[in-house]
Amino acid sequence: MKHLLLSLSLLSIPLLAQDTSLHDYLIDGEPWKEAASGYAFTDGLCCDAAGNLFFTDVKAGKGIYKIDVTTGKTDLFLDNLPGISGLQIGPDGRFYACHNKEQRIIAITMKGEVEVLLTGVKCNDLVVSKKGNLYFTETPTLSVHLITKDKKHVVADAGHVQKPNGITLSPDERTLAVSEHGGKHVWAWRIEDDGTLTGGAPYMTMWLPVGKETASGDGATTEANGRYFVTTELGVQVFDTAGRLAGIIAKPDPLGKVVSVEFAGKDYDILYIAAGDKIYGRKLKVKGYFGKE
Amino acid sequence: MLVWQNPELALHDCKMSRLALVRICLMKFFALAALSLFLATFVQAAPQDDQYVLGPDSQINKDVPQGKVTQMPAWTNSKIYPGTARDWWIYVPAQYKPEQPANVMVFCDGGGFVKTDGQFRVPVVFDNLIAKGEMPVTIAIFINPGVFPTSNPKEKPRSNRSFEYDSLGDLHARFLIEEILPEVAKSYKLTDDPEGRGICGNSSGGICAFTVAWERPDAFRKVISHIGSFTNIRGGHVYPALIRKTDKKPLKVFLQDGKNDLDNQFGNWPLANQDMAASLKFAGYDYQLVLGEGTHNGKHGGAMLPDTLRWLWKK
Repeated sequence: MKHLLLSLSLLSIPLLAQDTSLHDYLIDGEPWKEAASGYAFTDGLCCDAAGNLFFTDVKAGKGIYKIDVTTGKTDLFLDNLPGISGLQIGPDGRFYACHNKEQRIIAITMKGEVEVLLTGVKCNDLVVSKKGNLYFTETPTLSVHLITKDKKHVVADAGHVQKPNGITLSPDERTLAVSEHGGKHVWAWRIEDDGTLTGGAPYMTMWLPVGKETASGDGATTEANGRYFVTTELGVQVFDTAGRLAGIIAKPDPLGKVVSVEFAGKDYDILYIAAGDKIYGRKLKVKGYFGKE
Repeated sequence: MLVWQNPELALHDCKMSRLALVRICLMKFFALAALSLFLATFVQAAPQDDQYVLGPDSQINKDVPQGKVTQMPAWTNSKIYPGTARDWWIYVPAQYKPEQPANVMVFCDGGGFVKTDGQFRVPVVFDNLIAKGEMPVTIAIFINPGVFPTSNPKEKPRSNRSFEYDSLGDLHARFLIEEILPEVAKSYKLTDDPEGRGICGNSSGGICAFTVAWERPDAFRKVISHIGSFTNIRGGHVYPALIRKTDKKPLKVFLQDGKNDLDNQFGNWPLANQDMAASLKFAGYDYQLVLGEGTHNGKHGGAMLPDTLRWLWKK
């Protein structure tokens, strides 16, 4: 048997900060700050090109609310659209929405004119690519749907993702990512030229709360360099482009929920979360992918 | 300072020196191919690495029989990793005879190991050691991690490396056992004896090598891990605890790391490798840990690869 020497006193030599570390995104002295309050169940965060934040109040709200990028004030932006759970502005400048209450996918102009794209779906959350392909999750049927830019409907994946919920894209729009509300993975697929999905796999693994088997993955967004931000029971979990968990941003209220996440602000560097009756924002060192034209 | 005091594993003299570690390959002798995915953003020059230089067994010797390296058609029909494509190569030693089953060694991130002017030069080292009878006649399989290519060759395909290498579980073992080994066996006779089958890798490939043998000791029993990522990238930090509480598996494990290796959000590499070694010792494994002074690259592992292989294959 060979003689082994093990060092008992390793020198600790700091290396270059890793670009994937959570500690490189957060700013000391920039904690979560309340941005809006007085709602029942906020959701559907999205951002426009100017950096305004839009959100909904799924359970009690009237329509689409807006936090103004300049004044920080919140107003009802579009009335008479209650029950939207997922929202994004598409390449044509319209809102696209999971109108969960009406079980339909709709497009909405900034003036409130509604076009119905699909009915009879228990839609939860959506993302729209720059090409104009729309993907949405249907949580109870374990399905991910595609509505192509020419309005063709395809079930893009079914039966694999445990309660698919949050949904986002890589910055090259070649990868679709979907969080599991009833599992611990964030799935990823390659997006083919026609918008269909191939090569699905449980690419990212969320950290689980102690004693639980599911991470309660919910709304998701993408940072400009391709990292995925996913809301979970433990907070906002951040994954690098290799699918490795880089860290978890704590919730503002340890007992509260976070269900939707998006970057907004004039530099897209305020991370907003929908946390029950409130919206919180927090300035980060990184910027969001969505919103920019 | 830690010194590895084992004459058998001491480094040979070498004519190559002054290799500088830089993120871009400035010298023709030195490429980071195997590690480039992992290192692309943070490798820095580290003088601690310059002491590790290749010895004579890593130089081409025209007087020994030369094995043959064949690049295989890209593997694109994986059922274990659907949608992926990957490059791979096979090295067959000159001494291979179809009537005699050969030993097998799989190299994760194989594209780096297969290069005869790289950091590891596996075909050269195998030629030299097999000719001297210092390791058995062994067919090497060099296989890269999968990528998801798109229709546009100008787009950078998403890498599946971390998913394949850092994940615990039997997926990668099954990929090798169910897909790759049968493909190689169509052309070459490979041993069925798990004692004759090894797997080697660097960094995430290092933990992958261990995971494959840990999950399937019926198929692979010899492990080489250089700068192995036994850290919490995807849960691999649990191995030291698992090893201590699991019935001893019939594995022979070589670990190399450097005390200046990574310390980041996933963990501390030198501590993790020492933790692995302590657990392997506790559970009675046949193992070696060589803890040098290097950073996160293959220089130390490459320099000592001939000695590592001699130890690994010694009965």
